[in-house]
Amino acid sequence: MTSMKEATTRKSGGFSSLLKTLPLAPFSLVFIFFFCWPIFQIVKNSLDQGKGHYGLSAYRLMFTKPYMHAFATSLQLSFFSALTAGLIGAVVAFYVHRSSAGLKSTIAMLSGVLANSGGVPLAFMFIAAFGAQGGIVTILKKLGFDIYGAGFTLYSLTGLILVYSFFQIPLMVLVFTPALEGMRNEWREANNSLGGSNFQFIRWVLIPVLFPAFLASVLLLFASAFSAFATARALTGGSVGLVPLVIGSLIDGNVITDQANLGDALAVGMVVVSGVVMLFYGFSLRWARGR
Amino acid sequence: MKNRILNLSRYVILAAGLLFFVFPVASAIEFSLRSYGNKGHTFANYSWIFQQEDFFTNITISLKLAALSAVITLLTVVPAVTYLHLEGQRFKRIFEFLAILPLVVPVVSLAIGAQKAMPTFIQNSQYELAFFYVVIAIPYTFQSLNVGLTSIPLKTLVEASRSLGASFGRTVISVIVPAIRSAINAAIFLAVTLSFGEFTLTSLLHWETFPVWITRVSQGNVLGSIALSMFSLIGAWTLLILVQSAQNVRKKKVSKSDVEESEEALI
Repeated sequence: MTSMKEATTRKSGGFSSLLKTLPLAPFSLVFIFFFCWPIFQIVKNSLDQGKGHYGLSAYRLMFTKPYMHAFATSLQLSFFSALTAGLIGAVVAFYVHRSSAGLKSTIAMLSGVLANSGGVPLAFMFIAAFGAQGGIVTILKKLGFDIYGAGFTLYSLTGLILVYSFFQIPLMVLVFTPALEGMRNEWREANNSLGGSNFQFIRWVLIPVLFPAFLASVLLLFASAFSAFATARALTGGSVGLVPLVIGSLIDGNVITDQANLGDALAVGMVVVSGVVMLFYGFSLRWARGR
Repeated sequence: MKNRILNLSRYVILAAGLLFFVFPVASAIEFSLRSYGNKGHTFANYSWIFQQEDFFTNITISLKLAALSAVITLLTVVPAVTYLHLEGQRFKRIFEFLAILPLVVPVVSLAIGAQKAMPTFIQNSQYELAFFYVVIAIPYTFQSLNVGLTSIPLKTLVEASRSLGASFGRTVISVIVPAIRSAINAAIFLAVTLSFGEFTLTSLLHWETFPVWITRVSQGNVLGSIALSMFSLIGAWTLLILVQSAQNVRKKKVSKSDVEESEEALI
């Protein structure tokens, strides 16, 4: 009798505590239906062989030359654009950090604005500036630098790195500046009073202290370049074979393959790559905070 | 001497940085004022934008979707984060982890999944986009709310309100919402900017919004497309700068009044 009473109170306690978590319900529903469910569907589809059979043939095709080449190109683009923007952005952030408060907040605001610009308009802007007939190219030509004659073209990997820098450098300034706020002036004073040179300060104090935060920021840039789609599509129209562009043409039916679920396999491949990058991002963030 | 070199190198670097960002913008603006057949500079390409009949249709659609995303964010992310700060401490870590996940899944991958997973009646409605925009924005909206709420002693405020006899609804309306208003504003701002500019998912699901329309209409008119791009980029930048400076002003005001209050308390 008592045990039954206990059971009912526990049950009603469970129900009312479930009722208390109601504020989490709308978020969870939207998240499950519009995020988890589509992701589950891609994984399931990528393994679907038709007629109720499941297997790996889409992945086998993914590991053939053309698609591996697309992954290699995407990784190359992400690596070089993250590294370029990361190094330049870190230097800019360092100089901004040492400036007056007014300049600091102006740069912070501009970075926030520029880091958000991307997509098709950005691609068109660069076509107007760095295209074969673009303003900057014409000016450089008049000055005697024929960059297109020297082999540069905007519609290439180099061109994409240039365009991505426009939002990646501000993004780097934005995410790297907080790490600089943790630096102490006393460190430099200690270095100087112990007879250390500027170079020694940078080499033995600044770089080791800031490296984890730098790595985390660069990994974030890497992930953002890896999944970028709109700018690359508008700029190259597909002449640079990046994985997101290949998936895009598979969805649009521009590329015919007898493996109907190749797109799903590539999509899962992208999730895996970017998952690994974000995992390392998490590690380096923890490393940076541990100091 | 050393300081002067450092100062000089700082200005050189800042100037170079400025040029890298100003040159393309200036050069694109010049390009957008050109006319076909080199007949000097005109505003013709800009007036061409407004002559497109789809211009206002697509702006309206994008605005509607942005507004809907704001409402959905308000109804899903805001209650969840507030609850996690008030009662649901034990769920906090799980939800923080979940909220990062949309950053891990590239939008292209989500698009291909959305195309297959959504039932037809949802796929037939353009408003499905707003829900996906909200999901894509979750890493940013969740994080900004989470950070915003950490700085507010929300639990104490709620306990005070309850012990003074306010009902739960009353507490929500006159204590919680005013306290977290600026955090809510920031999150909504993020959701709106993201949904207004989203291209990848929208185009892969074959819907037309303002960013997708820009690409389509650009194919026939190079100069027009550049004018249109500059129009939308500069429009977006102006809006972002206005909102950010408004936020800065408010932040300054708030911190000032906080100081005054604490001084009063001391007296």
